Amino acid sequence: MVSNSSLEQAIDKILEKTEKEILSDLENSASTSKKTLDDSLPILEQEYDQIISNGKKEADKIEKQITGSSDLEARNKQLTTVEESIDKVFTKALDEIANTDRSGDYSNLIKSLLEESTKTLGTTDVIVFTNSKDRDTVQSALSQYSGAELSSETIECLGGVKVKSKDGAMTFDNTLDAKIERLKPLIRKDIATQFGVSN
Amino acid sequence: MSAEGGVQYSKIAEIKGPLVVVDDVSNAAFDELVEIETKEGERRLGKVLEVGNGKAIVQVFEGTTGLSISGTKAKFVGKLMEMPVSKEVLGRVFDGLGRPKDGLPDPIADKFIDINGEPMNPEQREYPKDFIQTGISVIDGMITLVRGQKLPIFSGSGMSHNLVAAQIARQASVVGTQDDFAVVFAAIGVQYSEAEYFRRSLEESGALKRSVLFLNTADDPAIERIITPRVALTVAEYLAFELGMHVLVILTDMTNYAEALREISAAREEVPGRKGYPGYLYTDLSTIYERAGKLNGRKGSVTQVPILSMPSDDITHPIPDLTGYITEGQVVLGRDLFRQGVYPPVNILMSLSRLMKDGIGEGSTRADHGEISNQVYDAYSRAQEVRALAGIVGKAGLTEIDLKYMDVGDVFEKEFLTQATDENRTIEETLTILWKIVSKLPKNEITKIKDKFIDQYYQEK
Repeated sequence: MVSNSSLEQAIDKILEKTEKEILSDLENSASTSKKTLDDSLPILEQEYDQIISNGKKEADKIEKQITGSSDLEARNKQLTTVEESIDKVFTKALDEIANTDRSGDYSNLIKSLLEESTKTLGTTDVIVFTNSKDRDTVQSALSQYSGAELSSETIECLGGVKVKSKDGAMTFDNTLDAKIERLKPLIRKDIATQFGVSN
Repeated sequence: MSAEGGVQYSKIAEIKGPLVVVDDVSNAAFDELVEIETKEGERRLGKVLEVGNGKAIVQVFEGTTGLSISGTKAKFVGKLMEMPVSKEVLGRVFDGLGRPKDGLPDPIADKFIDINGEPMNPEQREYPKDFIQTGISVIDGMITLVRGQKLPIFSGSGMSHNLVAAQIARQASVVGTQDDFAVVFAAIGVQYSEAEYFRRSLEESGALKRSVLFLNTADDPAIERIITPRVALTVAEYLAFELGMHVLVILTDMTNYAEALREISAAREEVPGRKGYPGYLYTDLSTIYERAGKLNGRKGSVTQVPILSMPSDDITHPIPDLTGYITEGQVVLGRDLFRQGVYPPVNILMSLSRLMKDGIGEGSTRADHGEISNQVYDAYSRAQEVRALAGIVGKAGLTEIDLKYMDVGDVFEKEFLTQATDENRTIEETLTILWKIVSKLPKNEITKIKDKFIDQYYQEK
């Protein structure tokens, strides 16, 4: 049967052609896949590097955050402790000053405080205020200043004087409290240095 | 500092706005510190503005609200306003007058320094030429900041200048040296939420330990704002010139400072200048900006980034105008970019760093930095022209090269300009993005870069 054999031949041809096409497609696909894989490798490596570098950056950031905040916390605790100790020293020093013996050098101190005050105000026509403990010392020192009067009122202070012009326009606070307050930042530094805290 | 005190005067002649006029005053000095005591015993600080004819005009930093003529006393302290300084100020938060605001005690002072600073001898100034990395691409790549420079940021109301400021404060560093770096941050008249944002931002990033914050919030007395930049700069100068640190000072917002100056000027009935600001606004601003720099023989440096919001985005307004005369360039934030959601919205075509050329290149950043930056500036400028043209003739009417420039503009804004608020890019990363932008153009369009750099960095498709 001629027709049957030519049909078989045609079928074989088609099969052979299809097989070739499939094989070639497979080959192409394999090479495309290989190329895609080869091409993606550097991109993948780049992305991998990027992820690693981002991770490293993030880790650095977190490390900085943690060390920064713990450093600060420790420093702040140290500051608070030093301040508490300074306050204790201050309290003790103020107690000692308050209970100082009012004789001897102390009267010289009062004299120099009065001298400084009247000089600063530019007049001796003044009213002088002091605490109850220093009244006698101040009273005796005032004899040198014409026009100066000791007020009958007493003020709350560790010692020293507060001087007011008689017209009430000017006041000069020369009490020990005011002097200590003015020098407090320097005294704090000295105390802190004694504690071994230096800048 | 001495134990000697000052005289307290109780004759107040007049209280006018932020000013108190004290009568029968002898021996007061210009700029002398004054302690005002209210009837209730509350103490406020002020300084002498004028003395003469037995009167002294005192500017009260904390405002005069609640003061009355009777019962108010003014004590002339006998010294200028001083800021206690030591290394201990690092990591601390202060108010606008330099008093602790973080609940911790006063720092134990190493020195007390006059807040007006000492003028720098011009002959002793060293030319700034060392790069500071902010981690923000547009600044590092195209408007480079150098140590000792004063580079303001011109912004507008509601724009993201505070985010930029905080990001610079968190990320700024000096590269290629082991020298210490510190940030002094002065917030002048900012909202409470902004002040908290700055504080939290530095705390959470761990940058607070190398920073000093001075916070004057919007509800603090306006007059205090006159002092805030000065105390901040005093601390900066100490850290830089006594301790040898490289200090970056960020002052935000200088417009609020100028407003406070205007308030005082009006209260003193001075002849107003442009927009009511005093005629000496330029001189006054220069006393702040000129405190930036480097000194021969000293290790440290003071770099300033003042931020000012331009009223109505008007760059000809007296504050940006006069600032621009004194500073060494400007970073301008653009409203259009801000509206598009670009962060940081820096309009590079209006921005400039005059000292950039000396702080970049081989040995500082990279040899190709200057050329690639110029090329991108040129390409972005052309992209803007093409965008304008496309608005008239449509995209279809553009040539192939025009379209490439449009693409450059888009990539520039999306990949280079746009950056997350916590993204800290190295200068290498920044330059790589710049090359990516330039590589969108054909090689024959690249006219500002040497062939050797093109061969090395051009990214072929």
